[in-house]
Amino acid sequence: MYGWAGQRAVIDVTEKKIIIEETDPRGIELFLGGRGLNSYTLYQMVKPDIDPLGPDNPLIFGVGPVNGTLIPGSGRMTVTAVSPLTVVANGTKPCFGDANIGGFFGPEMKYAGFDQLIFIGQSEEPIYIFINDGQVEIKDAKHLWGLDTWETEKTIKKELKDNNVQVVSIGPAGENLVRTAAIMHHISRAAAKCGLGTVMGSKKIKAVAVRGTGGVKVKHPEELEKIVAEAISILQNDPSSVTYSRVGTSSLLAAHQKAGRLATRNYQNSQFEHWEDISSEALQKYWKRPAACFACPLHCAHYYEINEGEFAGTVGEGPEYVTLASFGSKIGNRNLESILYLNNLCNKLGLDTLNTGSSIAWAMECWQKGIIGPEDTDGLNLEWGNYREVITLINRIARREGEFASLLAEGAYFAAKKVGKGSELLVNHVKGQDPGLSDPRTAQAWGLGYAVASRGGCHLRALPSSETFFSPEEAVEMFGYEEAVEPLGIKGKGRLIKWSEEQRAIADSLEVCKFIVRTGLIYAKYEAMFFNAVTGQDMTPEEVIITGERIIAIERAFNVRQGLTKEDDTLSHRFLNVPISEGPAKGRVNNLKPMLEEYYEARGWDLKTGYQSKSKLVELKLEWVAEELEKLGKVVE
Amino acid sequence: MKSRMLINVEPSKCTGCRMCEMACSLIHTGQCSPSLARINVVKNEEQGINIPILCMQCSDAPCITACPKEALYQDPDSGWVLIKEDLCIGCKLCHMACPVGAFRFPKETKKVVKCDLCGGDPNCVKFCEPGALQFTAEVNFHQRKSLNILSAFELKFDNEKAVKHNPTPEGIRI
Ligand code: SF4
Ligand code: SF4
Repeated sequence: MYGWAGQRAVIDVTEKKIIIEETDPRGIELFLGGRGLNSYTLYQMVKPDIDPLGPDNPLIFGVGPVNGTLIPGSGRMTVTAVSPLTVVANGTKPCFGDANIGGFFGPEMKYAGFDQLIFIGQSEEPIYIFINDGQVEIKDAKHLWGLDTWETEKTIKKELKDNNVQVVSIGPAGENLVRTAAIMHHISRAAAKCGLGTVMGSKKIKAVAVRGTGGVKVKHPEELEKIVAEAISILQNDPSSVTYSRVGTSSLLAAHQKAGRLATRNYQNSQFEHWEDISSEALQKYWKRPAACFACPLHCAHYYEINEGEFAGTVGEGPEYVTLASFGSKIGNRNLESILYLNNLCNKLGLDTLNTGSSIAWAMECWQKGIIGPEDTDGLNLEWGNYREVITLINRIARREGEFASLLAEGAYFAAKKVGKGSELLVNHVKGQDPGLSDPRTAQAWGLGYAVASRGGCHLRALPSSETFFSPEEAVEMFGYEEAVEPLGIKGKGRLIKWSEEQRAIADSLEVCKFIVRTGLIYAKYEAMFFNAVTGQDMTPEEVIITGERIIAIERAFNVRQGLTKEDDTLSHRFLNVPISEGPAKGRVNNLKPMLEEYYEARGWDLKTGYQSKSKLVELKLEWVAEELEKLGKVVE
Repeated sequence: MKSRMLINVEPSKCTGCRMCEMACSLIHTGQCSPSLARINVVKNEEQGINIPILCMQCSDAPCITACPKEALYQDPDSGWVLIKEDLCIGCKLCHMACPVGAFRFPKETKKVVKCDLCGGDPNCVKFCEPGALQFTAEVNFHQRKSLNILSAFELKFDNEKAVKHNPTPEGIRI
C-alpha cells in the first residue's frame, strides 16, 4: 500500500486485549487519515450518553497518508476523543474533542506499521504501551506514575535502550484528571486542546512509546522530490513563512498588539502596555538555536536558555504566541523570564498553557472584582502580574492540592459554574474552551471561526487570517464580496471561514503542519499534489475541498447527536456585548449574527436550528449519518 | 591526490528535522524510512543538539580493510568509498569496523548499503534547508570536522543565520 500503513490497533486496557486489523477502508476512502479518519472512528464508536472520563470513551491516535515522508511538515498526529473540557447543548453534554501534535511521534507510529491506535477501557494500575514494529505490548508504569513528562520520556528511552523510541506521555496533571491536561512529546510538543491528557489519565495510560523500522512507500518518488523542492522554494520566498522561520508564532504578539487584539488581563484590554517586554525582540536574548519538527524546513521553534537571575538554568523550547500571551498579557505579567519558566513548568506537568492560563486569568479578574479573596485562594494573592503566585498555583493545580487549585483544575468554565456571583460572565470561551487569544471584537472573522469550531473555541479550525492573503479580485471570485478580505468587513466572511475550514481539515487529515500550508501553499492544489505523489491516486483540488467539507460534516453530526444546536454556535458574553476598550477597533463588539447566517447558508445548514440538511449529507456520501440523525429528528430536508 | 568533493556537516546549523533521512531513503529505495537512510541524525532533545551522522569517506578506510570479499573499494577518480554490491555477502564486518556505523541493511537484499553521495549530487544536501550539510571540496577536512562537531555544543543564536542558509537562492535544483 502506498502512503498508508494499512493497519490499526485496538488496545483494550481493561481486558489487556489487543486487536490488530486492517485500517477501516471506508474511513480511508472518505476521510483520508489523521483527523478526518479519527473523527469518523469516534462517530462510529461513541453513543450519545458517553462519559468523557469513563471507559467507553476511545482515545484515538491517528496519522495520515503522507505522514513520515519528505513532504514538509509531514510529522503531525491527531489525538481524538470525546472532550472532558468542551461542551455542547448549553453546557450539559460533552463536545467532540481533538488535538494535533507535532514532533516525531506520528512518523514513527507509521514506520511501526499503524495508521491508528485506539485505546479503550480503563486500566486499574498505571501502564504504558510499547508499540514496536507491529507488536503491541502493555507494560507496567507504576514506577513512572508521578514523574513529569520530561523524566517519563527519558526513563522510558533508557529502559527500552533506544534513543530512537518516540514517546508521548502525561504528567501529574493528566494523572490527577485536571481538565486542562495535555499529552506531551519531547520537551514542548503538545496535544493540548480539549483536555485529552485527562482522558489518557482516566485510562491510567502514563505513556505510549513507539519504534518502527519500516517505511512509507511512495508511488512517485521523483515527482515527490520535484513538488517538495518547489514547496520549499515557495516557503523560502514567502515573507510570512520567513517570519515564522525566524521567530515563530511569537511574531504574532507585536502584530496583535498593533491591531488591538492582544488578549490582556483576561480580555478586559486588547493592548498590553508592556508588550515590548514579552515580544519576539525581547526573546532574542534567550534563544540559542532554531528547532524543527519532523521534515520541517520552516523550523519555527527555538531553544532558549536563561543564564542568570531568578530563573537561571531554565532551558526549554518555545514559547509560542499562545503561551506568551497566556502567561504574559493575559495575566498582566511583563516578566518574560517567568513566562519561559512557566512554559517549561506546564510542559513538564503536562498542562495546556492556553486553557490553564485561562483559568488563572479568570481567577485574577475575579480577584480584581472582589468575587474571590484570600479566604478563597488558599492564601494566594492573585493580583495581575503576580507571577510567583502563579507558579505556586500551577504546581498546585497539576496535583489538585487544596480546594482552590482543585477548583481551577476544572478549567475556567466549570469553575465559574461553581463559584457563580457573576463570575460566569468573566469566562471568555466558546463551548467551554478559550478560543486562542486573538480578540474577536477586532478580528471579526476570527469570531465566526471560534463560534463554529467543532472542538470548541479554537483559532486553528479555520484560517481567518487568510483574509489578508487574497486580492480584492480573488475575494470576489472565491467568497463573493470584496469585503471578505477587509479585516473589519462582514460580508463574505461566512464563505471565507467555510473555505478555510475545509482546507485546514485536509491539512489535519493528511497530517501536514498547518503552518506549512498556510500562506504560499494554502491552495488546495498543493494538498492534492502531495497526496497524489505519495499515494498514486489522482485527487483534484475540488475533491480536496469536498473531502474537507465531509470531515467538517461528520464532526458537526457528532456534536448534533450530542445535543448541539444553533445556540451553541456563539461567543461568550464579553466578545458579543462589551465594546472593546482600545486600539483601532475601539468601541466594537463581534458582529456574529450576519456572518453566522452566511456561513450556515454556505454549508447548507438550517438557519433556525443549526442542523444539517439530509440532501447535503447524502451528497457528501454520508447517507448512514443522515439516516441516524433523521431518526433522532436532528436533520432537515 | 586532488581534493575530493565531500559532504561537510555543520551540526550547529542542524535543526534536527530529518529531512536528509527522508531525501536519502526516498531516492535510494522509493520509501521514506529512517532505517533505510544512509544518513541519520543523532539527537538530544532536551538540549536541542543534533548531529547528522554519515559516512565520512575515510581516506584510509577501515571498512575496506575489514571486508573479506573486497566488496568495498576507494574509487580512484572521486576518492569515495563505494560498494560492489554483487560481491557483498552481508557479513557486516564493515559496519563493525566503521567508526560511525555508516552501513544499513535492507531486509530484502541482505547486502549492506552505504552513502554513495548519490553519484555526485547528494540528495540530503539538496533538501537540507538550514545548510547543515554542504557538498564541498575537501580542504583541511579532518580539522574542520572536529571543529564543526564542537560547534554543535556551542549554544549561540544567530537570527540571520537561522533562516535561508541554503546557498541556493533560486531554490533547490533537481
Ligand atoms: S563507511 Fe565508515 S569506515 Fe567506511 S569510509 Fe565511511 S566512515 Fe569510513
Ligand atoms: S536536513 Fe539538515 S537540518 Fe535537517 S536533520 Fe538533516 S542535516 Fe539536520
